[in-house]
Amino acid sequence: MHGDDTRPWTFYAFAAFFTLFVLFLYGPMIVIYILSFQGPNGGMTFPLNGVSLHWFSALVSQTRVGDIAGSFVRSIGLAAIVAVITVVLSVLAGLAFRRRFRGSAFAFYLAIASLIMPGLFVGLGIALTFRLLGLPTEWFTTGLGAQLTWTLPFGLLIMFAVLGRFNRSYEEAATDLGATNWQKVREVTLPILLPGIIGVALFGFTLSYDEIARTALAAGARNTLPLEIWAMTTNVTSPTLYAVGAVTTIVSFIVIIVALGSIAIVQRRRAAAGMRTE
Amino acid sequence: MAIVNPAADAFAASDRAEPEAVEYPGERASWLQVAPLVVVLLLFFGLPMLVVLAVSFFDFSRTEIIPAFIFDNYIDLFRSEVTLRLYASSLKFAAIVWAVTLVLGFNIAYFLVFHVRGLLFQIGLFLLCTVPFLTSNIIRMISWIPFLGRNGIFNQALQGAGITSQPLEFLLFSDFAVIVAYVHLFTLFMVVPIFNSMARIDKSLLEAARDAGAGRFRVVAEVVWPLSRTGIALGSIFVVTLVMGDSFVVRTMSGGQSASVVSALQNEVAALQYPPAAASAVIMVIIVTLMVAGILRVVDVRKELAG
Amino acid sequence: MTRSSSEPKNKFSRRTLLKGAAAGGAVVATQGVGGFPTVWAQNTKDVTLVHAGGSYAAIKEIGDQATKDLGFKIVMQAITDDVQLNRSLTQPQTIDINNIDSTKLPYLLGKGAIAPIPVAKYKLWSETVPLFTKGAYPNGTMASTQGLAPIEAMFYADKDAKKLAGKPTEFLTMIPTIYNADTLGIRPDLVGGRDKITSWKDLLDPKFKGKTALVDYAPVGVMDVAMALESRGDFKYADKGNMTKDEIDKTIKIMIDLKKGGHFRSFWSTFDQSVNLMASGEVVVQSMWSPAVTAVRSRGIDCYYVPLKEGYRGWFVGLAPMAHLSGLKLDCAYEYMNWFNSGWQGGFIAKQGYYSAVPATAKKFLTPEEWDYWYDGKPAAVDIKDPYGTLMEKKGSTRDGGAIWDRMGNIACWNTVMDEDRYLTRRWNEFVSS
Repeated sequence: MHGDDTRPWTFYAFAAFFTLFVLFLYGPMIVIYILSFQGPNGGMTFPLNGVSLHWFSALVSQTRVGDIAGSFVRSIGLAAIVAVITVVLSVLAGLAFRRRFRGSAFAFYLAIASLIMPGLFVGLGIALTFRLLGLPTEWFTTGLGAQLTWTLPFGLLIMFAVLGRFNRSYEEAATDLGATNWQKVREVTLPILLPGIIGVALFGFTLSYDEIARTALAAGARNTLPLEIWAMTTNVTSPTLYAVGAVTTIVSFIVIIVALGSIAIVQRRRAAAGMRTE
Repeated sequence: MAIVNPAADAFAASDRAEPEAVEYPGERASWLQVAPLVVVLLLFFGLPMLVVLAVSFFDFSRTEIIPAFIFDNYIDLFRSEVTLRLYASSLKFAAIVWAVTLVLGFNIAYFLVFHVRGLLFQIGLFLLCTVPFLTSNIIRMISWIPFLGRNGIFNQALQGAGITSQPLEFLLFSDFAVIVAYVHLFTLFMVVPIFNSMARIDKSLLEAARDAGAGRFRVVAEVVWPLSRTGIALGSIFVVTLVMGDSFVVRTMSGGQSASVVSALQNEVAALQYPPAAASAVIMVIIVTLMVAGILRVVDVRKELAG
Repeated sequence: MTRSSSEPKNKFSRRTLLKGAAAGGAVVATQGVGGFPTVWAQNTKDVTLVHAGGSYAAIKEIGDQATKDLGFKIVMQAITDDVQLNRSLTQPQTIDINNIDSTKLPYLLGKGAIAPIPVAKYKLWSETVPLFTKGAYPNGTMASTQGLAPIEAMFYADKDAKKLAGKPTEFLTMIPTIYNADTLGIRPDLVGGRDKITSWKDLLDPKFKGKTALVDYAPVGVMDVAMALESRGDFKYADKGNMTKDEIDKTIKIMIDLKKGGHFRSFWSTFDQSVNLMASGEVVVQSMWSPAVTAVRSRGIDCYYVPLKEGYRGWFVGLAPMAHLSGLKLDCAYEYMNWFNSGWQGGFIAKQGYYSAVPATAKKFLTPEEWDYWYDGKPAAVDIKDPYGTLMEKKGSTRDGGAIWDRMGNIACWNTVMDEDRYLTRRWNEFVSS
């Protein structure tokens, strides 16, 4: 690390730039947060018609919101499963691509094409295929599969970024010290890759939690949250939608704090074990 | 170090690198590692894709889809000037959004990696950028509408500050609005891979370059940028495919006044016209895959990884 | 619970009925309005039926009430029209009760996805408005048959359910549930008064340039423009609901010119968008739905659903059991569909501005004041509330367009799918991309 404590002027320029970007990201979100406290007779746009927790309580008491609670539970569950599968499969595949192997071009372009295919058709194709096979479509089978065609290519490509320029000397050192392959992966490779892996997990989770196009025709008889929200916007809507957004943000902050906390713990352990990444 | 390496032809390179007879060391391990991903993708993408491909050759009437092997759907597609217009529109959005997100993504990643001290703080700020991405795309997209509208917050602020006297109409239900929403929704996809690439750059390299008398911008241009190229290429792939595959944003933010390849295809699926929609999907996969191959011609991410 | 809002305040007998319905439901379910078949609760309690439809119909509260009244589970799945149609055909097993928009019926015809309904299974047929049973208004005059009129859509030619009969037979395509008359919504404060818009042609008036909107759905969007062009005297369509290629070309050409000239501010694809366009003043004249007008008004912004001299664009939806149902599940499906029109649902959706196919039953679940306001077009004697108890209209206001048959009795054209649907979709894509 740099020794001196004075920041160059570029730091302040970049910090200002970054702040503007965060404002751009959160600006419209803040509108949502404010409007979620809309009074009971208020609508989805300004002006505020009083201030209340009405729409949050509507979310809990399940009036006028469709099946938000049910679809929320499904979406969280599905996103968690997708995140786990995406992490495991794309980390494995990423490791595979560190060596040359025959068929790597096929595997790679399969993932790329899967990323590109218009989502609606992935869902439709899966529905037709499963019908031909005589299998039912459910959010946790075909819906899961449809989302994986989306999250796996993302996961794989992010692993390319994570693994790129990964310094092999640590692994070689471990081998020299007599570590088995599994020990090497567990003790050396994975801890170094951990931040990247958490990134893949977050990506998988978010992409799944938000997915509409692919899931729409593959989710079967139960909606995921985005499907429910999308269907709701076709009818009388209320600031409940915004309350969903506000709650999601709060939940995400909690998840992030937990994630950061766990990284901090891992770091401390690693520091204690005398290993550094940089 | 230059990013553009004309010799690194993605296809040619893989052909050269993989003659049938040669067995690479550790190949079996690689196969085992990549197999689960390939199996899942073959099952949920490969198989359905074959069905779609078959359907694209089917005939159809208003009420029925007739199994056949005709090229009419493709011929119609190539003959229609609507196709050209749709691709022109989608490509325009893709190009603009790519350029904007690249500038944003590179600078944000640079700031996080090289200016922010402390891994935890770094990751904290990084996650701060990701929080809005956990809120449903639909809600985030809709949230721009009260912001950009004729009587929206932005117009009121402009008029309040005396910058404009009339509300600016082009802010909403326009290509501008579409691009704003795309940038809002997709910048993260550029930040993440570039951040990951940059985080792997050995900082002593930068110091060495600076010690050798290189100015700040030369260090960025000649060390950081080339060493981030994997991330840049991956981010570009994400953003280009996301924009090319979108229909929700273009539809909502343009107020239904602009179209994309996929929004047109969606109209056909809504009217159960699968065969022409399938043909359109097949063509789109081919065209966008070629675009990705073009990106990989510049930076072969597989080669970067396998060394 | 906010159910109390639906409880009549002054009629003792009705209140007891309601209490009975709310408490056990068995009263209504077993001997209620139409005399339901008695399916033993022990057998049916494990049955679950998925009712999929637009969010204006597949409302969770209705499903919950049905579950309570019937003793088996109704799961409401709100989905968009296009997803529903595609799912009905590619994965019919995921739906049990299909909520069918009449415009989707032609796509489903002859595909074997939905089952024909023998008239005898529907107990409330004789009480259903004659618009569906005979194609006539209660006063005996015949309704318009431009587009897909109810009488054309209600009946299969025979039990094979391959073709529509166009006249009464023994096999229903669906049990009619909700219908309404659509027209233009305006902002009286921004167009210079309620009386400034009187005809469909005002939608194309250059003075509203940049302040008009249409629905982003080809069959309906084109029909609204056709109504306007016909009233402006550009041309006369043989059937606005079933244009020829030539008519489509002429219409789309004018639409493209209008679009390039900046006449349209937006094309909305969700309810919400239409409300926000109007409430924010982005648009002052647009094609919209009745509850959207109310939603704008409930924000304290004046919005008027104009009765136009050429008449309304009508629509209706219904329920049909999916063909894969059989035995007990099919019996439950019939019981549910009968329940659907037995009043509770009709009362609920009346307060969103929609009409029930069996108004007499809905009336039992409305207060006299609510009935007078929603159905009879009389000034509200009390504040009018929505199904959730939120204030919608202040005392003294009158429903735009008046009584049910002043509105439904003046339909110029019904929502439809044209024979040239394929061509229309292609031209519409061209229109949007130009």
